[in-house]
Amino acid sequence: MLLSKERLRALWIRPWAPQGWDEDRKRADDRARVLRARARRRPFLLLFLLVGPGVLVMLGENDGPSMLSYATTGATYGIGFFVPFIILTFAMAYIVQEATVRIGIVTHRGHAELIYQRFGPFWGNFAMLDLSVGNVLTLITEFVAIRAGTAFFGIAPWVAVTMAVVFSVAVLLSGRYFAWERIVLLLATANLLFIPAAAFSHPDFAALTRALGTWQPLPGGAHGAFLTLVLANIGATVTPWMIFFQQSATVDKGLTRLDLPQGRIDTALGMCLAAIVAIAAVVASAPLFTHHVGVAGLANSADFATALRPFLGATGVTLFALGMIEAGLVATMTISTSSSYAVGEVLRRGHSLNLTLRQEPFFYAINLASIVVAAAVVLIPRAPLLAITIAVNVIATLLMAPALLFLLLLVNDREIMGNLANSRIANVAGGAVTIGIAVVGAVYGVVTAFPQLLAQ
Amino acid sequence: MSENQPRQLLEALDPDQRRSALQTPLPRRQLGPGILTLLWTLRIYVLLAVGVVVYAFVKSLLK
Repeated sequence: MLLSKERLRALWIRPWAPQGWDEDRKRADDRARVLRARARRRPFLLLFLLVGPGVLVMLGENDGPSMLSYATTGATYGIGFFVPFIILTFAMAYIVQEATVRIGIVTHRGHAELIYQRFGPFWGNFAMLDLSVGNVLTLITEFVAIRAGTAFFGIAPWVAVTMAVVFSVAVLLSGRYFAWERIVLLLATANLLFIPAAAFSHPDFAALTRALGTWQPLPGGAHGAFLTLVLANIGATVTPWMIFFQQSATVDKGLTRLDLPQGRIDTALGMCLAAIVAIAAVVASAPLFTHHVGVAGLANSADFATALRPFLGATGVTLFALGMIEAGLVATMTISTSSSYAVGEVLRRGHSLNLTLRQEPFFYAINLASIVVAAAVVLIPRAPLLAITIAVNVIATLLMAPALLFLLLLVNDREIMGNLANSRIANVAGGAVTIGIAVVGAVYGVVTAFPQLLAQ
Repeated sequence: MSENQPRQLLEALDPDQRRSALQTPLPRRQLGPGILTLLWTLRIYVLLAVGVVVYAFVKSLLK
């Protein structure tokens, strides 16, 4: 007997009641601790309980390719213009990400879910598909970073990749958002390893202070290489998965309007930490510029670590390589989770880390599939990894425009945002950043696809 | 834990953040001509962007 359309839909969209109850119970348990900390006027405990999505998203975006981009910047131009420029890009990231906190807090719905409900199935499915495809490709580059970082320690690629997959899945199966968040946060602190690595380069603090104050010296040499690094640094700071991840994580964590100040602090803290780490990567690799070591032969983190050994010493380059492995691993966990959230939201399946594997296998299957596919591609001999990396750059930057446009439309949607909709000033700042990043992203995408345009 | 305790615990959640409340989708937004034009422009942009992505990928594969 043929099933009716409604029956098929009912089979596909499982009722949420049993799982929903357990999900609510776990989130309520976390919220009860927040309410107690607030009632007892313990601001530091309150902040400790509420930080998470902002720090994770910012340190998560300091991923393998981004850290490689910062290292290339330091090796090509040393300490100068790019140091304050990185701070500017992270300030732009804050403006974008703060909007996702507000939307998540007010609507308690993820970004893909809101696009689907407010703008219809076409844009909802588009948001889900473009994010999922872009994320799988990005995950491949994260595994490339993990493989390169572990190669520095002589670990075989298949061992490194398998260990990364097993670790990511083990943490994922904690069955609780708060536990997952704390473990990944702890791991993300290893991003700070770039700071001691930079200290081993004996940085010129006078040059660093001068660069921060004056944006000098301006890079010389080829304009094409400079423009590419400007665009790459912007692309390394704001990407579509960040918007989807932070909004969904804010909802999964259960933040409410009362938590907005802590949500903003969380995002600002993440911004500051990530900017310091990014600058540390520039500083750590600056000796390659000072000593005129060409960057042409440096394709991955292992190459950088090997080239930096004479300047950072054995301990310094070990920290550098460990930082690269962490960058890939944390990004793997956050990016794959953003895919699970988006697919679950659009297909109206359970989409929470507070659901167990048994309660919502589909949510975990999406996460696992994206990780396993990416890991498998990295292990295929002669896989077109360079082509994939270029495609990732083009996709991520070209698709920033739609992601930012929907963000701006949603944060100005007074029907759902009420008094937390963007003010006029926020719109000027947010609009300028949106237009700026979207245009620069589109230019970067086109330049990556047609490099001959810069050569002319 | 008594039967009432889970219900009391749920009071820590705002009513609109409970899963049952979120099962009701928000209504579609009424789109004015400005936003409709913007979204159609976006469709064209996306088509062009997909073309650029495919071109970049194929070109780097053939290198």
